[in-house]
Amino acid sequence: MTRPARTGTVPGILLAAGVLAVCLALGLALGPVSLSLSQLWHLVTAGPVQGDLQSAIFWEIRMPRVLVSALVGAALAVAGVILQDLFLNPLTDPYVTGVSSGAALGATIGIVLHFANLSVTTVLAIAGGLGTLVIVWMAARRRGRIDVFVLLLAGVTISYLASALVTVLMIKANEDMTAIIYWLMGSFSGRGWPDVRVALVTIPFMIAPLFFTREMDILLQGEKRALELGVEVERTKRLLLVTAGVLTALAVSVSGIIAFVGLVVPHVVRLLMGPGHRGMLPVSLLAGASLMVLADLLSRTVIAPNEIPVGVVTTFIGAPLFVYLLRRGRRA
Amino acid sequence: MSTIRIGRLAAVLLLIAVLTVGVVALSACGSGDEETAASSSPAATAAGPITVTDDSGIEVTLDAPAEAIVSLAPANTEIAFAIGAGEQMAAGTSYDDYPEEAKALPKIGDFANPNVEKIASFNPDLVLAAAGLQDKVLTELKELGVQVYVVDPKTYDGTIATIGNIGKLTGAENGAAMVVEEMTAAKEEVQAAVGDLPAATTFLEIYSKPLMTAGTGTFIDDMITIAGGENIGAQAGSGFPSFSTEVLVKDDPQVYIADSGSMSEPGEIEKRAGFADLTAVKEGNVYVIEDSIIARPGPRLAEGLRQLVTMIHPEASTTE
Repeated sequence: MTRPARTGTVPGILLAAGVLAVCLALGLALGPVSLSLSQLWHLVTAGPVQGDLQSAIFWEIRMPRVLVSALVGAALAVAGVILQDLFLNPLTDPYVTGVSSGAALGATIGIVLHFANLSVTTVLAIAGGLGTLVIVWMAARRRGRIDVFVLLLAGVTISYLASALVTVLMIKANEDMTAIIYWLMGSFSGRGWPDVRVALVTIPFMIAPLFFTREMDILLQGEKRALELGVEVERTKRLLLVTAGVLTALAVSVSGIIAFVGLVVPHVVRLLMGPGHRGMLPVSLLAGASLMVLADLLSRTVIAPNEIPVGVVTTFIGAPLFVYLLRRGRRA
Repeated sequence: MSTIRIGRLAAVLLLIAVLTVGVVALSACGSGDEETAASSSPAATAAGPITVTDDSGIEVTLDAPAEAIVSLAPANTEIAFAIGAGEQMAAGTSYDDYPEEAKALPKIGDFANPNVEKIASFNPDLVLAAAGLQDKVLTELKELGVQVYVVDPKTYDGTIATIGNIGKLTGAENGAAMVVEEMTAAKEEVQAAVGDLPAATTFLEIYSKPLMTAGTGTFIDDMITIAGGENIGAQAGSGFPSFSTEVLVKDDPQVYIADSGSMSEPGEIEKRAGFADLTAVKEGNVYVIEDSIIARPGPRLAEGLRQLVTMIHPEASTTE
């Protein structure tokens, strides 16, 4: 079998950056309220203006929403790459570690306890996600090393447990069911600058793995081989796991659970770029951001003034694209 | 054992009773035209079947006023108590919080998950249901032969009509007439106060994250219109649709009203993304309304309507 032609690392990254730039521009330029190019130019050059409704739409509503979706998409894609590699399992997405379900449980508790301040819910979601990571971690630790398969199983189990607890809370606090369901569905509706601030915290955690691409390449050949090649396997695994967990917890806490981006983006990029992390990791980051910005753009414009849940859109874009690329990859 | 047998016997008897009622009703009514005649005639209390058409368009027939009523929604419970049929209430939902007596009723589950067995255990001769979520339960209840009235009014007047119908089914016509009179008076009062004031653009928030509003075909939309508002949410379609924040800011409502209660907490509306520049925020026309007086199609909609007009047209209500 000959491998399909693959894009080189640097051109690939530049291309992905270009695509993201176009998606960001489209995301800012288009919306349910249409702004002409000259209006956009005026809004951008004038900066945020108090008391101007167009300025409020552009700077206070659209801009933070586009930024949050880009950051969440990138974070989920990076977490997806890391976890698929660590678990050597193609079905892995950022949610299998149980972190997202833990975050959902945290958010549900926040909703049920009726904190008027919505940022408490965000903090509880992050705490729930990281708490789950710690539990899963302890379950998988044996004699100083992490057994990734135990970790995967523990993650899936905790995930079910957390979901069951969310269901119990939904039934007990029935009047909050709507709020919980909407939270779980995931959305960027109404996200503002405070959410951007939370999402910005993902940036160092997205940059850190870029310095470990060589180790990640070697880990793909199995832990034994990696040890032989002089990789500090346990330290690398620990660092990558924490990174992926934090990214997932932060992403889920601002957006809810958005399906498919963390699963499909790494696969698509791997098919296009090959498995070498020096190229596929940054490209996945950029592609995840692009897909999410595009999906959110569609979610808020297609049936405006109504909105489609963004997770539905990511799946509608991602699924056919993925099947097409899988078939093409097979034939080549 | 014996309780099961008694239960079965009761079910069989109930079935026979219901079948008899059905046959009698069918032979007595003959055609649906009779129903309008029955509605307008105050003599409906006299012996003989009572037939009304519920909000889903289905005829409900009782051969005598209901003696054991089960309510599947807080609004229905409020209606029963307001018209003086509280005595006949056998059970309600765990959400029922008004009036105070309603809290003490046995519970059949809640609005979203009514328990059919529990409902049947009260041997109700009338179940006051809601639409949507409860469709599956309604089918099961109808199979058991229980008469079900679906409360699902689309307008303020529709709510009044439903209260009148429930009055007939429960033999509480007089109480119902008083409630109808009070609700009609509230509407007339509000209409008089609004007069020909220009309609104020109004956004009513049902839920904040994601933003949802009341669209066309809802009694909330109707009440906004009665109170002299122009409902911005109407452009988003029927029912309770999601709504784009961008479009909200573009349309810049003069009045912003957020529903608050067990289902939704609006938080600090003024501090939301992009809200600072809204006319409603700048002019201090942001209000919070308790959801039980605006989202429950029952007698307290009169209170909801009166509050709405003070929010939408404060100048109208003060000059009175």
